[in-house]
Amino acid sequence: MVKINQNYKIKMEKITKSFGDFLALDDVTFNLDHGEVHSLLGENGAGKSSLMNVLSGIYAPDHGAISIDGKVVKINGPSDARFLGIGMVHQHFRLVKSFNALDNIALTINQTSYYSEKDNLRHKILKKMDEIGFDLDLDSPVGLLSVAEQQRVEILKVLIAGASIIILDEPTAVLTDEEAKGFFKIIRFLASSGTSVVLVTHKLKEAKEFSDKISVLRNGKLVDTIIPGKLDDEALIKLIVGEVFAEKPQLSKNFGEEKIVISDLNLHRSNHAMGLTNINFKIHEGEIYGIAGVGGNGQAELSTVLMGLTKLNSGSIKLAGYGDITKFRTDQRRKCGLVFIPADRQKYALAGELSVADNYAVASILRGDLGSWMGVKKLGKQQSILEAIAEFNIYGVQRLNQNAALLSGGNAQKLVIAREFSSKPSVVIAHSPSRGLDLKAAAFVHKQLLTARDGGAAVLLLSEDLDEIMLLSDTIGVINRGRITAEFSSPADRQIIGKAMVN
Amino acid sequence: MDFLIYWLSNVPGFATPFALGVLGMIICERSGVLNLGAEGFVLVGAMSGAGVLISVGDLPLFALVIAGLSGSLFGLLFGFLVTILRVNQVIAGLIMVFLAQGLTSLLSRNMDWVNKPFEGLSKLNTGIFSEIPIIGPIIFQQDLLVYCTLLFYWVAFYFLYRTSIGLRLRAVGENPEAVDAAGGDVILLRLLAVIIGTFFLGLAGGYFTVVVSKIWVDGISGGRGWIIIALVIFARWQLSRALLGAVIFGCIEALIPRLAAIGFQLPQYFVLMMPYAITLLVMVWSNLNPKNIKATPSSLGRPFLREERH
Amino acid sequence: MSSASNINKRKGVKLEVRDPMSFANKFIVLILSIFTGLFISFVILILSGVSGSALWKEFVVYIVTSEKNLSSVLIQASPFVVAGLAAAVAFRARFWNIGIEGQMIFGAIAATYIAINDVGPEPTRLLLMFIAAGFGGVFWILLPAFLKIKLDVNEIISTLLMNYIAFNFLLHLLYGSWRDPSTGFPNSEQYDVSEILPLLGWQSLNFSSVIAVLLVIILFWLFMSSRFGFVLNVLHASSDMARYTGIRVSLVILIVTIVSGFLSGICGFLVSAGIESRMTQSFFIGFGFSGILISFLARDNPIGILVVSLLFATLVIGGQSLQVFYQIPFAMVQLMQAIIVMCVASSEFFIRYRLIFSF
Repeated sequence: MVKINQNYKIKMEKITKSFGDFLALDDVTFNLDHGEVHSLLGENGAGKSSLMNVLSGIYAPDHGAISIDGKVVKINGPSDARFLGIGMVHQHFRLVKSFNALDNIALTINQTSYYSEKDNLRHKILKKMDEIGFDLDLDSPVGLLSVAEQQRVEILKVLIAGASIIILDEPTAVLTDEEAKGFFKIIRFLASSGTSVVLVTHKLKEAKEFSDKISVLRNGKLVDTIIPGKLDDEALIKLIVGEVFAEKPQLSKNFGEEKIVISDLNLHRSNHAMGLTNINFKIHEGEIYGIAGVGGNGQAELSTVLMGLTKLNSGSIKLAGYGDITKFRTDQRRKCGLVFIPADRQKYALAGELSVADNYAVASILRGDLGSWMGVKKLGKQQSILEAIAEFNIYGVQRLNQNAALLSGGNAQKLVIAREFSSKPSVVIAHSPSRGLDLKAAAFVHKQLLTARDGGAAVLLLSEDLDEIMLLSDTIGVINRGRITAEFSSPADRQIIGKAMVN
Repeated sequence: MDFLIYWLSNVPGFATPFALGVLGMIICERSGVLNLGAEGFVLVGAMSGAGVLISVGDLPLFALVIAGLSGSLFGLLFGFLVTILRVNQVIAGLIMVFLAQGLTSLLSRNMDWVNKPFEGLSKLNTGIFSEIPIIGPIIFQQDLLVYCTLLFYWVAFYFLYRTSIGLRLRAVGENPEAVDAAGGDVILLRLLAVIIGTFFLGLAGGYFTVVVSKIWVDGISGGRGWIIIALVIFARWQLSRALLGAVIFGCIEALIPRLAAIGFQLPQYFVLMMPYAITLLVMVWSNLNPKNIKATPSSLGRPFLREERH
Repeated sequence: MSSASNINKRKGVKLEVRDPMSFANKFIVLILSIFTGLFISFVILILSGVSGSALWKEFVVYIVTSEKNLSSVLIQASPFVVAGLAAAVAFRARFWNIGIEGQMIFGAIAATYIAINDVGPEPTRLLLMFIAAGFGGVFWILLPAFLKIKLDVNEIISTLLMNYIAFNFLLHLLYGSWRDPSTGFPNSEQYDVSEILPLLGWQSLNFSSVIAVLLVIILFWLFMSSRFGFVLNVLHASSDMARYTGIRVSLVILIVTIVSGFLSGICGFLVSAGIESRMTQSFFIGFGFSGILISFLARDNPIGILVVSLLFATLVIGGQSLQVFYQIPFAMVQLMQAIIVMCVASSEFFIRYRLIFSF
């Protein structure tokens, strides 16, 4: 056994991991102390997730050594990591939705007999919950629990399995401000009782507020490890992005006519969808109407109803120049100039196994450009596509016939926007357009929305990220349980909007 | 009254192979492996059962065990294709059907098993019980496998809902990533489910030859594997509903030959197409209820690979 | 749970996603796996008592050296081609049409109805039969298509069940009102000369080859060049994206199933008017399934379908000889097809992933 630094809980030394030609982690050394909350900051693709996947045994590193409590260990899969007391709470929960919390936890721990030890386990969980102040229904299917509650199940899974090292991947991405506060209280409590916590995040604010140390990764390298408070925001951003960078709000200068008017929209609630109740709002030409709200309060339903993808039960949608478009199909609405940037771009906006050219050209071809019904033009070398790719700064496209699945999140989103804006839009519906994007890509997306607005389009921006709403919107509506509960003109007070989101 | 008793006493014999087959399908598909090869596994089981009786001797129970095991052996190939080689599960299922049709036909010709009648498994002699009026013929004049099937259902229930491995098996069908993160071996669990599941499909096939027809001819299952698949959807992948579905189907199948006996005349080939038409109706009826679509295991048909980067 | 001791060891096989393979390499893998499948099949045949030299003669020598056998292969290939196209069209829209056989039966029933009732003037009889066959096939796919679109009923099972219903209906006709009055056999009376596809002048090759090639060309254009083909590509890749970009998915599926059913009906017509010259009960067994396998092997590419169909037809002609001279059941042909497809499907694993051994 090689003795390294006895003082650290975990020492990851000179970790390198590559995927094909791509170097995800480049000689990274990362140390984690006993009982500390250690934040990992960095852009998408900087290597945060890769590093933690190595630690939790999901990836095997190409080089490097890991030691825990001074002993060199090999982590050969998730079960080894669990055995060593490493627990990971993934951003996308690893829960079986149809099982209750108890069964989900039972799944993680190795019991010889599941059924006879069920009561035992229940007591253990209740005791743990009591200790850290959790409140949770153990018996209803986790699919019916709120996101915050589902997260608690994930944390309990890790704790009951006896983890002394907890990795949290973007834990607050799905929480409201209020829920996040409660969450960090528990995390601090766990740290004070000796658990080491790694917090993977891209929110500077919470990293600074709640962690003992911050490590910054950039392009697969660990740039620096600092004590929060030693650096101001600007310096920290510079560390993360490599340059100074900030977006400023730019309100619209000239509203035009009413472009789209939504009246008394109703959608019945179903098994898998939130209903919509009496939705009324209008958007003018050259206006961005932002809809703030906690995820799952009807944003997805509102956007698909407006695009004609979900049938509404009552209400009307009127579009300037076209009149009542309530009965229009999706293709007809698109002909009227409605365009859509859905939240889940990989699932709904792109086809990964089709080429970049096909993904871009689908809108043009359906409009009847690029050839006739008899023959579609060869897309591989189309000038218009090459120009769009250049204009929208889509990196990583070597050939037009490469698969879209190979694009990173930011470039994939740029491709979606390039396509949707390939004809002049009259109404833009954008749902969480910068979700999962790094700062630079998000800024690019925002610039495109502002350009569309300044070009006279009516823009509906639905986002769970309140900062994004505050930054871009000229008018802000708040959606809560399928209703628009409040409306503000910018600039509005963040606190008041935040309250309206949860009340 | 006699009609009713006669009819009902025939129901278990018709229902049992469906019950066995659906049981196998549920175990298999609960793990997330879409099994469209049911017809193939049934055929392999049917031929093996007949083969044992003709070539080895009059050992009906042994023949049934071999029918199940040969289903599993064939299932191992299927499991290898879908879990390890990650072949598209629809294609792999269809391949198993074609393969089984060709293989059973060739093998039974080579071994000279075709059109050779045998004793098979007869009804159990329960002595005094079978003399009880009404319930005697219905409940106590059945073959051993009818009673075993009920036992299998109980064991399967215990396995799926009371053991750790059953818990994991069900979880794998819903969210394999969760099981993987919990340290379970997704591939192994699915292979296990396929092997157990195809055992029961093979056993269902064995029932067709060893108990029902007591003879082997090519393609003897005549599409019943597909009916089994339809019944799984009807059953919403639940054991209790599976048993119910098998009994209902058994009632219908047992009724069809009875109809002619009471003078209800229908052209012969229309009678023969009824099970398929009824299955189609069952599928329509199942889908009219949105609960069924929700009951589908979430990862059904989706292969699993951990190292994949998105 | 792992013990501490094996944590320090690192063993086993890992999978890694490969970079996309070049077209040429993919083609080499495809050819290799087809040969692997043929090899396994031949081993099975040899174990069944056919000598290796007999296999060589039946499957290669006699077919290449005899014009008669070569023409039999070409005649046999035509319905395979059309069945393959019928499968391919549907698969392009992710509609698994396993009911090609049933649709063939109804196509042939419609054509035979025209033939035995002498509908229409003689010169247009074949054309009428052709059209009727197409619509017969469409008739038999409409219910599954409707159930899929409206109720999301699994089309694999519904189309398959429809096969059994169609087959029993066919038996009802052949053992009933359509039984051949002159022989008493359960098949329809023989078609008149005006109801049989005309010969082309070389051996027994007839017009069905022309129809098959024409359909390949039309579908090649449809898939590779037309706007509808592009829409199919999008739908095949992602039905969600198709819907979100304004493609009318239900309408496309309806059109596709109609085309697929029409082609299947034509396929039935080619068998009855091009090979058997009457409606019989046994000759449909296997065409529908083969069509699916052909389409899979050819990756839904019409030209590929043409090539694979020739391979499958060769297997059939060779298999028929084996049946006659070695009493090998005809199901062996189906077994060979399945083994080849299994090898090809398995080979995709090696195209997509790289195995990493570490010991």
